[in-house]
Order: sequence, then structure tokens, then C-alpha cells
Amino acid sequence: MQRIHLGEFEELTLLFVAVLHGNAYGVAVMEEIEQQTGRAVNISAVHAALRRLEEKGYVNSEWSEATAQRGGRRKRLFSITQAGRAALEQSRDTYLKLWEQIPGMAPKISFS
Amino acid sequence: MKGPFSPEPPRWADRFLEWYCRPELLEEIQGDAYELFDKRLLANGYKAARRAFVWDVLRSFRLSTIRRITYKFSPDMYKSNFKIAWRSLVKHKMYSAIKIGGFAIGIAACLLIALFIKDELSYDSNYPEAKRIFRVVAETTEGEFAGQGVDFPAPFAKALKDEFPEFEKVARINPNSLFTGGGNPIRRIDAAQNTYEEGFTFADQELLDILQIKMIYGDRKHALDEPNTIVISERKAQQYFPNENPVGKMLIANDNKDKPVKIGGVMANFPSTSHLQYDFLIAMKGVEFYNGEQSNWGASNYHTYVLLKPGVDIAKLEKKMFSVIIHKYMGAQMSKTELALVERSSRLYLQPINDIHLHSAEIHDGMRHGDIRFVWLFGAIAGFILLIACINFVNLSTARSSNRAKEVGLRKTVGSSRGALIGQFLSESLMFSWFSFVMGVILAWALLPYFNQLSNKTLQFPWLAWWFLPMMVLACLFVGMLAGLYPAFYLSGFNPINVLKGKLSKGSSNANLRSALVVFQFTTSIVLIIGTLIVTRQMNFILHKKLGFDKEQVLLLNGTQILGDNLPAFKNRLQQLPMVQSVAVSDYLPVAESKRNGNEFWEAGKDKEGNSSGTQIWQVDSDYIPTLGMKIVEGRNFSTAMKSDSQGVIINQALAKKLNLAPALGKRITNGGQSYQVIGVVEDFHFESLRENIGGMCLVLGNSSNVISVKIKGQDMQKAIQQISAIWKDLAPTQPIRTTFLDDSYAKMYADVRRMGYIFSNFAILAIVVACLGLFALSTYLAEQRRKEIGIRKVLGASVGSVMGLLVRNFLVLILISLFIAVPTAWYLMQKWLEDFVYRYHIRGDVFLLAGFSVILIALLTISVQALRSALSNPLDSLRNE
Repeated sequence: MQRIHLGEFEELTLLFVAVLHGNAYGVAVMEEIEQQTGRAVNISAVHAALRRLEEKGYVNSEWSEATAQRGGRRKRLFSITQAGRAALEQSRDTYLKLWEQIPGMAPKISFS
Repeated sequence: MKGPFSPEPPRWADRFLEWYCRPELLEEIQGDAYELFDKRLLANGYKAARRAFVWDVLRSFRLSTIRRITYKFSPDMYKSNFKIAWRSLVKHKMYSAIKIGGFAIGIAACLLIALFIKDELSYDSNYPEAKRIFRVVAETTEGEFAGQGVDFPAPFAKALKDEFPEFEKVARINPNSLFTGGGNPIRRIDAAQNTYEEGFTFADQELLDILQIKMIYGDRKHALDEPNTIVISERKAQQYFPNENPVGKMLIANDNKDKPVKIGGVMANFPSTSHLQYDFLIAMKGVEFYNGEQSNWGASNYHTYVLLKPGVDIAKLEKKMFSVIIHKYMGAQMSKTELALVERSSRLYLQPINDIHLHSAEIHDGMRHGDIRFVWLFGAIAGFILLIACINFVNLSTARSSNRAKEVGLRKTVGSSRGALIGQFLSESLMFSWFSFVMGVILAWALLPYFNQLSNKTLQFPWLAWWFLPMMVLACLFVGMLAGLYPAFYLSGFNPINVLKGKLSKGSSNANLRSALVVFQFTTSIVLIIGTLIVTRQMNFILHKKLGFDKEQVLLLNGTQILGDNLPAFKNRLQQLPMVQSVAVSDYLPVAESKRNGNEFWEAGKDKEGNSSGTQIWQVDSDYIPTLGMKIVEGRNFSTAMKSDSQGVIINQALAKKLNLAPALGKRITNGGQSYQVIGVVEDFHFESLRENIGGMCLVLGNSSNVISVKIKGQDMQKAIQQISAIWKDLAPTQPIRTTFLDDSYAKMYADVRRMGYIFSNFAILAIVVACLGLFALSTYLAEQRRKEIGIRKVLGASVGSVMGLLVRNFLVLILISLFIAVPTAWYLMQKWLEDFVYRYHIRGDVFLLAGFSVILIALLTISVQALRSALSNPLDSLRNE
């Protein structure tokens, strides 16, 4: 089995990058995590996770156009790469396989 | 957000972020932080948003976000820096020499003092269990015997061992000369001639165990555990039994042929950094100095050392010790009031063995100690001298900045950064510091023998110690930085346009700081000079004080007990010599290191409580008072004709006053055991150090025959000694004669004062030399700067005097300011020192005048050399070329 270098928070971040689909940058990811999981996260943690993901090749980034907001600074937009998608899938498969092995606990996860 | 009020995140946090953040991450992090700030501003308000922003910035401070320090090592740059430094050093030889020379002197002084301090601090630290070894000290704060002492009764040690499991081992030593500790004649059993040796003490076997003394021969565990054994040091073994194992051999001490002592072992010499310095340890086992002595709680003669078990609570133990010893062992002999007094005012404490050398100034233990205050004083003096040298460097560098200004301007114009310039100037000062260190170390090494003499030590230069080289390199860097930092920042700060235009006013821009530094230098020097003068005055005061006895022309013969029955004959024959005025036999002399005792006397018939006085009782003969030139103020001297004089006593004025005996003649005084009738009162004489008040004194007729004092007539001491020695040889052919002079013994008591005077004067000279070097260079430079001005003034008719005045005035003001600061400082410090002495020189104004005048004179001479040269110079020379 190919080793996946994904920490728990990294995986979460990667998922949200995928969820936000082309609109993922630091603040957006942070707010999404807070809303959907209820976890309070500091922006610096999100930045660190995104940086690591980029180093591993799971996300790409490009600069947005400058706007008047943010003091005229550009956003750094992240998008998931093929490798990132594969890593997420592998992770999911592993979990599923394990879930199926727990007696009396059939997975109730549906993928749509 | 635009408007009259646009809320901003905290500026410092923003700048902090910009400062630390890697440039490629900055836009993202800063942008997100701003966006969050704006959102929170709407949701939570201004303050909360600002707080959150700060928090974000701080949280973002991570290893992965901070800037990489980019440091490019470029050997060429260093090469260039050092080349320029070397060139400027060579170009201005005089200034360089003064900078380096002054520095070298400062460094040498510091190094020597650092060696001294290191030695002082290393006392008694090399015993394997040093952390657990203590000396027992008793402190009393009230009554006749107030003070701290280390003498305990003989059974005290055993009581400690029996009562408290906290003590692993307890050992006693008894170095008291009353019991033949100290110095004794000794010889091999097969030799006839005695040799006098110092450094005897009685000691328990446990002492060897506690200190874990290394043995050269013999078994440490059993070297002293038999009666009549002795352990001798390696050097003495080498002297008496060269190149052989002397264990089991016999020695005869004190001519006591019936009781030879067996050598139980040979120990390594005590290191020079040990407060214990003995060559002969005699086994305490089986020794009883008089009947019942070993179980007598009434006489205290034993120093007691203990080895604690690990992890003992010392404070608790001290309290417990005191209470048990007082109540269980000593209380029986005391009255209720005495017991109450002891409980109220006394305590026992354990002094760590490391502290003994430097922290025993208050403790009466009959040993020579260092003093932590001197360590501090020396350290401060060394630091100040180094500072003075650093100041020379700073002053010369900034004063001569105009010479470098063009260089700085040009370098900046062609693109040098300030950092690079600072680097350049720092490497220059490091180079100076390097040369100075090499010279300073060599100087210190050369001066070490002299310094050893000065400080009474045997220091070695630690060339090979592992810490020496790294320490020197570090210190070199540190001092180079210290001296170079200010000039580097100052010089590199020039505005290139101004300096290239020649706008920089020459050397004046930092005159204030320079003046302050000169004042500092001279203040320090003046304080040291005043200190020297006052210490010298105090020493003169000590040497010339009327002491109540005459210490001149008195020859002391030591160890005369050995004459035994021949003593009266010896005395008789001495008295017949024409050069001898009188001869007295008594061990008790008014100088240190002679015999002492302690007693309490009160008037017979009165209550002891509240009427007693701590008193010495000295056994003398009827010739004692005339021989030592003491003065009877009431009554008469002892007379051999009157039998009743054996019950008589001559007291001193202090005792008469303390016991309220007026008139004293005919009164009876007692120490509980015996009572004496006062037949005379002798004028107070100083029998202890001038640091102390004169205590009570009783002179009685008695036999104490180990020292003979001979008052000599005429000047030819050598001849007198020859004649006396001839008689001695006649009566005691196998004994060496040992003579000393009373005035030498007296001066020896104040060797520390004398030493302090020497040290003060030497360092004062160093300080003033370094300060004057700086002053010389500074005045030379300023005179150089004003060459043209002086030329013009002369052309217009200024006299030599007025030009001189122009150049000297400013410096003179600075010296006067220094005097102003130095005088009260020195007065205060020296007053504190003098307070050690009850009898002391009273500081008078002439000391300050003398110091002031000499400093002004020296400074004027220094400045005048240059001032005169400029004033006398031909204006043509300075004005010729424009």
C-alpha cells in the first residue's frame, strides 16, 4: 500500500479545498471548517496545513486578481490536484474497508 | 473602509508581521489577516478585532513562516576589511600604539586579577565530598564573649555523633599552641639535632576520612587510629626520609625522648587552596592534656568538622543540635540566668567548607583568611581599569572620526551599506583588541611573579588549562566589540553628501560624550589615588601609634621551654651581657600569634552577674613590664623580694574601669577559682589588633617559659644576636635557636593592610597611566586640529601663554569636575574601610588636596607637552600651504 502522508487536520483541509472548488483560500477554508465542523481554528493553522499540502503536491495555488479589499492584496487560491484526489480516495477506501470489518456496524455512508 | 475614521489593525503587529514573515508568504498571510480584521470589525467591534489580529499575527509566527537569515560569507570582504584596518593602524603609529598599549595594560591587569579571584574562589573545593563537609561555628550576640568562634569542648564531637544520625562522621582538630599545636622542634629518632617545624595539629582519624586525603604511604583508614602516631606531609617526608617509605619509623617531637611518635602514614601536601595547612597531624587518640580533659565541657579548644549524610535539612539540624547540646550536656554547669542568656543570644551553625576561606572575617579561628570584600574590590578595580582602556579607544576613534569621514562618504557613495561599514569598523577594533590581548597576556605572564609577591600567592599562568585559550578568544571578541561598537555606529552614520562636501565639523560633534568619558577616567584614577594615600596613612598610623609598650629593640627567643632547668641560668647569663638591658620570660606578648587565654574576672565579694569582664590573664615575670617598656600608672611592679606578690595582680586601666575599681590598689579580684590582690595598674597597651578595643588584662607572676624577650641596648643587633646565640649553643647544643624581633611580629599583624596599600598603589598607577595615555593622545589630536587657528592667532599677536591657556583650559575643567565627583566617593568608600579599625587614622582634607594637586599636575604635564609644542610652533609652518 502506498503511504499517504496526510495528517488528520491536513485531510480535513484538503477536503474543504475540494469542497470549495476553485474558491479555496485561507479565510474561506477557515470559515468553512468552523461552520461545518464547529471547530475553532486559527488562520495560521490553516495556512500551515495548506503549505504542507502544497509541498506534498496535493494542492496547487494561483493568485487571484487584486481587489480593493484586503488592503489591495491578492488572494491565494488553492485547488486540489490529481494526486490530492487520489490521496483522499485512498484514505476513504481504507476507512471503509475498516468500517466493514467492525462486527455489527455496517457502514451507513452513502456516496452520492 | 474609507472615511474620516478608518479603523486599522495595530500598527506594531502589522510591522512585526512584515519584519519576520518570509516575503513570499507575506501577501497571503497579511491579506487574510486584514480580511479577518475587517470581518471581525463588523461582527465584534473594533477592540476585539484588534486583539484577534494581534493573536493571528503571533500565531503565525512559526518556524515555517519566519525569514531565513541570509548570511553570505565572503572571505574577500574580510580580507579587505583587515587590510584597511592594518593600513590605518600603521599610518597613525602613535595613536595605534596608545590604543593598543593602554588596552594591553588594562587586559594584563584584568587577567592577573581574574587569576587571583579564581584562586580565592577555589579554596577547599576539591575534596570529593566538599558539598557535605561543614565546620561547626558558635555565635553569641550578647555578653562578654560576643562573637563567632569555632572552639568547642573535647567531648562535643562525640556528643554530636551519638545524638544525631544526620552526621556521617565528626572529626576534631586541636591546633592550639597551648597543647603543642603550631610549631615544635622535631627530629628523627636516630638524629641528635632538632629542627623547628611549623604546622602541627592534633587530629582525629576521622579528619582523614572526611577530607579523603590522598595518602602517599600508609593506609588512610588506619593512619591515625592508634595512640602516639603521626601523619606527615609528603614534603616533610621527603625532607626527613628522602626517597623511602617512612611508615612505622619514629620521630621525636619537643625533645620528648620518652615518648617517640610513630609515623602512621604520609599524606599528600594540602593544596595551596586549602584553609587547612598542616604538615604534621598527631593522633588525638589516647591523648589527654590533663586529667579529665577529654570529658571536660568547660574548656573549648577543639575545631570540629562534620560530614553530613546526603539530603539533611541543615537549618533544622542546627536548631536541634543547639538545643540538645545546651540542655543535655552543658546546662548542668550553668546557672539559670546563664542558661537563659545562652538560649537567648547564642546559636550553632554549620559553615560549608567552601565558605571558610572567604567568609570567615567575623570568626575567631586563629587562621589567616581571605576576605570576600577584597575579592569584590579587586574585581571592581580590574573592571574599571579595563573600562578606562576601552574609553581611550572610543575617545580616540570618535575624536579622529573626521580623518575617516571622507572614506566613509566615498564608500557609501559607491554603494556600501551601513552594515558593511559597521562590519569594517568592528573588524578594525577586533584587530586592535587582538594585538592588545597578545601583548596583554605576555605582559601579565611577565608580571605574574611580581603580582604573586604583591598578593602573597603562588599563582601559575594557566597556559595549558583547557579553558584558557577559548576564554581569551571570547574575551578578545567581547572587548573588541565593547570598544568598537559605539565608534562603528557613529562613524558609519555619516551622511555621505555632507562629509564629502566637508561640512562635518572636525571632531567636535561628540565633544560632550568624550568629555564625560574623560571625567569618568579621571574620577576612577583619583579615587584609586586617594585610596592609596589613605591606606598608606593608616599603615603609618599603625606603625607609629603609641601602643603602651615599646616594640623597638626587643629580640624574641622562641621555643625556650626546651632549655628546661637551664632556663634561669640562661636568663642570668643574658642579663650579664653588656648589650642587654633586661630579659623577661613570658609566652604572652602583645602581638598576634603569641599565647592567649580567656577568663572572666570580677571583684571578689560581688556577684558575678553583671559585674564581670572578659579578661586575659598572663603569666609574666618581674622583668616583663620594664623589658616591654610598659608604664605603671598606679602602685608598683612585681618584686622578687616580696613573697606575697605571687598572689598579686597588675591590671590594666581598661579592667579597672570596667570593674569600677577606683581606687584599684588593694582590691581583690577573682575568676571564680583564684583571687588576686591588685598591686598595680599598668597603662593600657594594645595587645590585640588595632581593629579591636583594648580588653581587660591581668598580669600575674607565673611560669610560662617558651618565649624570652630581650631588650637590647645600642644599635648593633647583629652583634647582640651573635653573643646571645653563643650562650644558647653552650646550654642547648642540639637545639636550633629561633629569634624574631618584636616590631617585625607587630608589623606582621598588619601585613594585609600593607598588602592592600601596595595593591592599591600599583593599580592606581596603572589607572592613571592609562588615563594619561588617552589624555595625551586626545590633546595631541585637538592641538593638531587647531594648528591653523593657532597659527593665525600667533600672527595676530597672541602670546605663548594665551595659546597654552586656550589648549589647556578645557581639559583642566574636566579634571576639576572629576575631582569634584571623586572626593566624596573616595571619602565614603575609605571611611567604610577604616571602620574596621577601632583605632584609625582620621581622614583629613590634606589627603584630598594632595591627590587633587598631583592629578592636576600629572594631567597638566601630559597636556602641556603638546600644547607647548603647538604654542611655540612657527605659524609659518602651519599657514604655509593652503
